[in-house]
Amino acid sequence: MSRSRITSLLAILGLCLAASAAEVVVSDVTSRAIPIHLEGFSGEARGVLEFDLYVAGFDLVGAPQAQYSLGGKPGGSLAAMLSDVNNQAALFNRSYPGGSVRAQAHALADDVVQAITGRKGISRTKLVFKVQKERVSEVYASDFDGANPVQLTTDANIVAAPAWRPGRKSIVYTSYRAGNADIYSQDLSTGERKVLVRFSGSNISPAPSPDGSRLAMILSKAGSPDLWVGDAEGGNPRRLTTTAADESSPCWSPDGTTLCVVSRESGFPQLYTIPVAGGSMRRLPTAGVRNTTEPDWSPDGKWIAFTRSRGDSFDICVVPAGGGDAKVITEGEDPSWAPNSRTLVIARRTGKFGSRRLSLLDWPTGHVKDVAQVAGSSSQPSWSR
Amino acid sequence: MIRWSASHLQNFNRQIPNTQPPITPMKSFSKSGSLALVAILCLAAGCKKGQKNYTPLPGYSGTPGASSGLGKGQPILPPARPLSPDGAGSGGTDAVNRVDNPDGPGGQPSREEIEGMIANREQFKANTVYFDYDKSVVKADDTANLQAVAAYLKSHSDNKVAIEGHCDERGTEEYNRALGERRALSARDGLISLGIGPDRVVTRSFGEDKPAELGHDEAAWSKNRRGEFILLTPPPAGGVR
Repeated sequence: MSRSRITSLLAILGLCLAASAAEVVVSDVTSRAIPIHLEGFSGEARGVLEFDLYVAGFDLVGAPQAQYSLGGKPGGSLAAMLSDVNNQAALFNRSYPGGSVRAQAHALADDVVQAITGRKGISRTKLVFKVQKERVSEVYASDFDGANPVQLTTDANIVAAPAWRPGRKSIVYTSYRAGNADIYSQDLSTGERKVLVRFSGSNISPAPSPDGSRLAMILSKAGSPDLWVGDAEGGNPRRLTTTAADESSPCWSPDGTTLCVVSRESGFPQLYTIPVAGGSMRRLPTAGVRNTTEPDWSPDGKWIAFTRSRGDSFDICVVPAGGGDAKVITEGEDPSWAPNSRTLVIARRTGKFGSRRLSLLDWPTGHVKDVAQVAGSSSQPSWSR
Repeated sequence: MIRWSASHLQNFNRQIPNTQPPITPMKSFSKSGSLALVAILCLAAGCKKGQKNYTPLPGYSGTPGASSGLGKGQPILPPARPLSPDGAGSGGTDAVNRVDNPDGPGGQPSREEIEGMIANREQFKANTVYFDYDKSVVKADDTANLQAVAAYLKSHSDNKVAIEGHCDERGTEEYNRALGERRALSARDGLISLGIGPDRVVTRSFGEDKPAELGHDEAAWSKNRRGEFILLTPPPAGGVR
């Protein structure tokens, strides 16, 4: 075989490999942003629409580049017409009576997302997170874009890892208000809270199951920080891991059968899965990255987002829920999935170290935008589901 | 997914005064030209006659064309409220959870015992132990510190100790919280191996939340990866808590 033939065969082979690699990247996950043009909106409505559509995977472009056009109508309540520029077709023509300008614009953004992509919008979901000022931290909640923040605790102590109880107006979190890391629940309708788990040692990283019937958590009461699962209020905890190393940050598969947790059993942090019914811990392969922490399982069950640490930097990664090649998405920590299994809320550090702020990441397009920030260092976000 | 509907939120809706004049929905489409355009576009988009073309938001109780019902305000989360007297005791499973550790050998002292004692953060200040980056093994250099704490506890048999584990800022938060606990437990194991009863040593972790030094370099980090010993003494006779 001549040298040139070998070269051309190699070239063809290379092209095939490149093509298949490109396919892997394109399929299912990555997607081009959808170009849309906004016209006839101003002030707060425009700001809200631009934010909501950008983090939903749209690019805001001039009329000539647009595939879709959203035209606002003058008047008190928001009213708008969405049209497909290429087909000259109106997708909807709708008004939004009632509520605030923000609420109207969020509702419109959700309708645009639904009409164009078929996906349910996320503009009217909520976040809970931790805000640290000086040496004190409190739990806050806000709209998904950081607007309307509400301080939920006023203990002037330390809190950690707030998490929604799915489908309920209630959260769980760790508080040190009694001098120890204990797990509390707080009803957001009444403000009432309960101490759920307060063994000697650390009671941390509470994670309510998707159906709300159980609570996964890290307890050190048996001599090592292990993964335990209790009932909805944390009672009758059952120990799932028995390593001498520390486990952290459990999260649930959406069907409630499996937990993903971090263990340092091998000497450095790695992700593992374990059946909730009990059984052995299985390492979750994350090819290409190591030192992996803070997993969160997408609501559609397909992906696990997590943080990769490199000593002085942190990246958001995503891996198929069964393990495989980990994709490094962007700089940041502690991802939490939106109900759409596409958008993530993440914490990013200002400078190499120092305070953190919250941002939304639309994984398929790579769009990242900071939410409106509360004064202080915001971290450990959890998205309402 | 939770939808924050008006009915869910009626208990704590904050009434936001509506600063806008009431506007009749679809008012802007009342010109005949606009109507014609809408009709054409509706045909193009396959609209059915009577299709809903408005999305009333929470707080909206009117019908299109009516001018009432606006201005109820956007439902928002409840303002922070006073917490119930002390959460403690309000949970139905507290009694179960408060049963002290029966699982591991060498259970820690109960919370009730510890919380009745006086904390002295000065006694063992010089005995703080320091850890290598991402490690939880008490270093050989720190053996003397463990011995000093153990010797004091041996000569004060009614005293106990709390060990607080801490981390530098180079890990993620919950990972650091678990690592800090692992560090405190390592120091606790050291005390136990020196003859201190397991029921005299309680552990806590603050992760990266309580740094000793605020800098962002190894000089600060090496001071932050630590285990502190806090002496716990019985309350004065008479039992004042």
